[in-house]
Formats: sequence, structure tokens, C-alpha cells
Amino acid sequence: MANPRNEILEWTEQGRIEQRNLRRALELGEVLPTAEEWRRFLERLLLFMGSAMLAAGVIFFFAHNWQELGRYTKFGLVEALMLVALALSWRLGLDRASGKATLLVTALLTGALLALVGQIYQTGADTFELFAAWAVAVLPWVLVARFPALWILWLALVNLAVTLYFQIFHGWFGVIFGPERQLWLLFSLNTAALVTWEAAAASGVVWLRERWAARLIATASGAFVTALAVLAIIDWKGSGVLNTLAWIAWLAAAYAFYRVRAKDVYMLAGGVLSAIIVTATFLGKHLVQTEAASFGFLLVGLIVIGMSAAGGYWLKNVATEEDR
Amino acid sequence: MSALSREVIWDRLREGGLAEGELPAPGEGRSPWFVRVMLGFAGWIGASFLLGFVGVGFVFVMKSATASVLVGAAACSAAAVIFRASPRGDFASQFGLAVSLAGQALMVFGLFQWFERSITGIALAVAMQQALLFVLLPNYLHRVWAAWSGTYAASFALLDMGLQAFVPAAVTAAFLAVWLREFDHPRHGELVRSGGYGLALAAVQTAVMHGELWYSWMQARGGAVLFGGEAGAWIGAVTCGAVLLWAVITLLRREGVPLASAVGKIALAGAAILAFLSLKTPGVGPAAAILVVGYANGNRVLAGLGIVALLGYLSHYYYALHATLLEKSVLLACAGLALLLLRLALLKWWPRAKEVGHA
Repeated sequence: MANPRNEILEWTEQGRIEQRNLRRALELGEVLPTAEEWRRFLERLLLFMGSAMLAAGVIFFFAHNWQELGRYTKFGLVEALMLVALALSWRLGLDRASGKATLLVTALLTGALLALVGQIYQTGADTFELFAAWAVAVLPWVLVARFPALWILWLALVNLAVTLYFQIFHGWFGVIFGPERQLWLLFSLNTAALVTWEAAAASGVVWLRERWAARLIATASGAFVTALAVLAIIDWKGSGVLNTLAWIAWLAAAYAFYRVRAKDVYMLAGGVLSAIIVTATFLGKHLVQTEAASFGFLLVGLIVIGMSAAGGYWLKNVATEEDR
Repeated sequence: MSALSREVIWDRLREGGLAEGELPAPGEGRSPWFVRVMLGFAGWIGASFLLGFVGVGFVFVMKSATASVLVGAAACSAAAVIFRASPRGDFASQFGLAVSLAGQALMVFGLFQWFERSITGIALAVAMQQALLFVLLPNYLHRVWAAWSGTYAASFALLDMGLQAFVPAAVTAAFLAVWLREFDHPRHGELVRSGGYGLALAAVQTAVMHGELWYSWMQARGGAVLFGGEAGAWIGAVTCGAVLLWAVITLLRREGVPLASAVGKIALAGAAILAFLSLKTPGVGPAAAILVVGYANGNRVLAGLGIVALLGYLSHYYYALHATLLEKSVLLACAGLALLLLRLALLKWWPRAKEVGHA
């Protein structure tokens, strides 16, 4: 897809468009927003910023645990706010941005309510249970909202629940060095989400075609499988073969889908970076611990530079190929 | 903002009398932003191995501050030659980037030894070093890095001098000044945009997420002395708010919207709410400024960075230590309500209209 902004800026730099006409050219190329687009943008900005701040304010308020307020007042407050937000969402309808925004607020307030339950009744529940319960509680709304941001919030809650679970049962050391079980679980979770997302988008679900959400999930999936491959190299154990095979399969699948079928240069760039990181780790481990360590460093550095240059060249060609 | 094909855009420009002749042949193409980010990461990985090569193979370089600075400067000079000799070469660009990054790290290592405990001295020297490299090394990605790291170093110098309260305003103002005049220097577009992106990243780091940096710094130093004390902090916060108002006024003038019109008043009211909020919630204003300026210039990457910065700040704000959760909750809830009320005002006084040209 062409990028009108870049094209017009490049033509002006080349002198094909006079400098004084640049702004008018950008308007004709539909790069700069029209009055109506400005109105729509500001309306959405005020709506989402206002809603997010209001919801955050309520969550902060309950996190403060103000002793002057009785428990029933606190419950009443948060539940009343949830009801108002839910009623507004129902009234406005989920096809409108305002309806979606109020449902997002309701989903955020659900977290405040669950945290309040834990705070008041001292349930002794672990943090991961809060996020897991939160994810389960808002799932029905997520399912009906047809709103990518809400799905991402839900997926983030599940990721947080898994991470906190391992933090509690494995300690901080385990989190930093990523025990394989945790990495496998997070990788599987995000990969399953990505596959489902792409399959649904390909089968014609229009609201799932927003690329930012799929790219965010793919980044998480790619980061976890890359960490698995790096872990296999640094600390080779029996499961190393499985980790390496998973990484290779992920790279091959990403190439097959995002190069051949759907064409998404962002995903391909992620694959190139992953390949560079894993290669550098492998070579670093085997070449810089030899007697000729300094030349090992130089060689790995040059290989990384060569790989990234070749990757950049290839990606630029794929991107340009889309433009033409 | 839609994505028209090259042919359609060119035809429109010709019909509008802005262009003549045949559609220019496609250039080599600019790499998308994420490819540049990937190249930047890879450049740093490559540079760290090159540094390892120097550190292990030429131990004397690391042992002498002068040798570190000289070898680092030589590496940066070599990178300048590489960039100039092969400005479009993919391997040359990446090699030059890694060589320069390794050189910069060596110079910073040497500067640390030269200045010993003077953080201001080190930070100012690094800021000047990066400013020089920004001008002399003609590579887009390198310039983004030089602008970002140079600004960050300068903010450290201000912090060490007790002027941390003024950093958010200064960095946000620099960022806005560059992007609001982006179209005034089209022949130097690469220079302006690379500097602009570097400043945007520095603004996210110092003006949006600054709490983390300042507080950890103060703790490590046993309490940095703030210039002007409590009054200095207030003056800094008010200055940041004033920068936001100035930016909105400049943007309205650029777009030809009278300040006294309904649209102008709504925009100014929004800026005033954010400026007021910035007194105690300092990251919201700069993040919103990145988003709005990105949208105004038709720059989706910048607008996206603004959204990420806003979300990041709200998550981070929970842990910020300068106010209690109760104070923060009242501020956020009031500001949120004010913004939602302003939206109602917008719907009432700026009705959906037929297209009447650009705002």
C-alpha cells in the first residue's frame, strides 16, 4: 500500500513539487485531516481520554482504601458506577464508539470491584487470582463487544494472571530468567490467540482486521518463542530440541502466512529480528568463549551486521513491492 | 486520511496545478518505521560485539580514558566516511551504524573516566558529542538515535544542576517546535524528521515517564537539590502547561482557525484542562501533545507513539510517589469528567457539517 505522506514529501525533496505548495499537496493527497476528520478525532480523543481517566480515577480511589467510607458505601459506589456505565453502553449501542468506550470502562471497573472484595474481606487470594477472576468476569462483554481494544485488555489480564502465578510459585529469579514452563504457557496462549484472530479476520470478520491488535499479539508470541530458543542455547537441556523446533516452526509459519498469504512486513521484520537474536546468541556462545575470543566478537558482530543489512534490504523490497 | 495510490495522488496534484510531467519513478523507497526499529536493535547488538572485540583484543584502549575517546572518535569518523561514501548501501549503512554506536560507547566510557564524579560534565559532554554526530553523520536512523540520546544526556545535566522541574517543558517545547514547523523546511525533511523522532522519544522518556527517572536518580544521589525548591517545582509544572497552550494556539493559527471561534474555544479549553492536570499529573499533557501533533501532520507513527505514551503513563502513574492515591484519583476523575463534558460541548457547538475545507 502506498504511503501518500512519504510520496509527497519525497517529491517535494526532489523538487517535483514546489516547497510553498507542500501543504496544499498534502491536503490533495488526503494526508492532512479535513475539518470533519478533526472533529471526529477530537470527539474520540475526548471520549476515550475522559473515560480512561475517569475509570482510572475510580480504580485509584478504591486502591487508596479510604477508611472513612464504610464497606457498603464502597461497594455501592463502585456497583452504581458499573451500572451507570453498563446502562449507558446499552443505551448508546455497541456499534458506536461511545458505547464501546463505556463498556471498556465497565470492564475496568470490574477489576476495581474484585480488588475491593479482596481488600474488604481479606480473602487471602493471590494477585494472580484477582486477574484470572477479572478475565473470567468480563469475558461475556468481551465476546459481544466486537471491540479489539477490549480483547487486548482481556488477553493482557490472562497474560498477567499467568505471569503472577509463576512469580508467586517461582519467585522473582524465576520470572527474570523465565522458567521454560511459564514461557511455553505464555507462548502457547498468545500464539493460539494470534491464530484465532487471523483465522477469524480471514474468514470475513471485519472488525478483527485492525492490524495493530494482531501485531501486538504476534509481538508477544514472537518474544516468548525467541526467549525459548535463546534459553535452549544458553542452558542446553533435553527440552532444548523442542524449544528450537518450536522456534523454527514459528519462523516458517510466520513466513508462510505473512509473506505468501497475508503480507505483513511488520511480522516479517519481527521474524528477522528474532533470527538475528538467536543467531547472535548461538554464535556468541560458541565463538567468543574460544582462545581467539576477540576475533570471535568481531566475526559475530560482522555476521549480525550482515544479517540485519540483508534483512533490511529484503524487507524494504517486500514493502516496496506492496507499494507498486 | 486515506491511502491513495501513487498514480491517483500524482493525477490530483497535476489537476491542482501543483505538479507537472509524468509520475516520477518509484524511488528506492523508505523503510517502514518498524524495519528501522529492527535495524536499530540489530545495530546495537552488532555494536556490542564490536565493543567486545575492542575490549578483549585491545585491552589498553579500555584502560586509558584518552585512548578510549580517541579510538571512539576514530570509529565515529570512520562511520561518517562510510555513510557519505555509500549513502544508500544497506550493508554500509548498517555497518556504519554499528561502528558509530560502538565508537560512541567508547567515548562515553572515556568521558566517565575524565570527568570522574561530575555528572553534569559527563552529561554535557555526551550531549555535545551527540549533537555533533547528529549534524555530521548523514544517516536517518543514526540521527534519530543521536537526537534521542543527546536530548536525554542534556536532561541529565539539567537534573544534576537541580533544574529537573524544567526538563519536561523544555523537551516538550523542543519536540513541538520541530514538528509544528515540519512542512516549513521540506528540502531538509530527513534532517527535521529524524531530529523530530529523536525528540519525540526523549519527550516520552523525560516528560511522560519522567517520574521513574527523577525519583530513582534522587534516591541514588541521596536527594538532588531542586532549584527554587517547592516554588521551582510549581514554576516548572506551570511552564509545561504554558507550553501546551502555546502549542495549541500555534496549531490553531497554522490550521487557520480563529481562536475566538467555537472550534478554537473548544481546543483551548481542552488544552487548559490538560495544562491544569499537568500540574500534578505531568505526563498526560506531553503524551496528548505527541498524539495531537502526529494527527495534525498526518503522521500515524507519531500519533501511535502518543497513544502508547498515554496508556503507559496512566499505568505508571499508579506507582508515582509524589501524590497519594486519593489525590491522584480525585485529579484523574475530575479531569476525566471535564474532558467528557467538553466532548458534549463539542457535539453541541461544533455540529457535524458538510465539508467546508480544512480546519
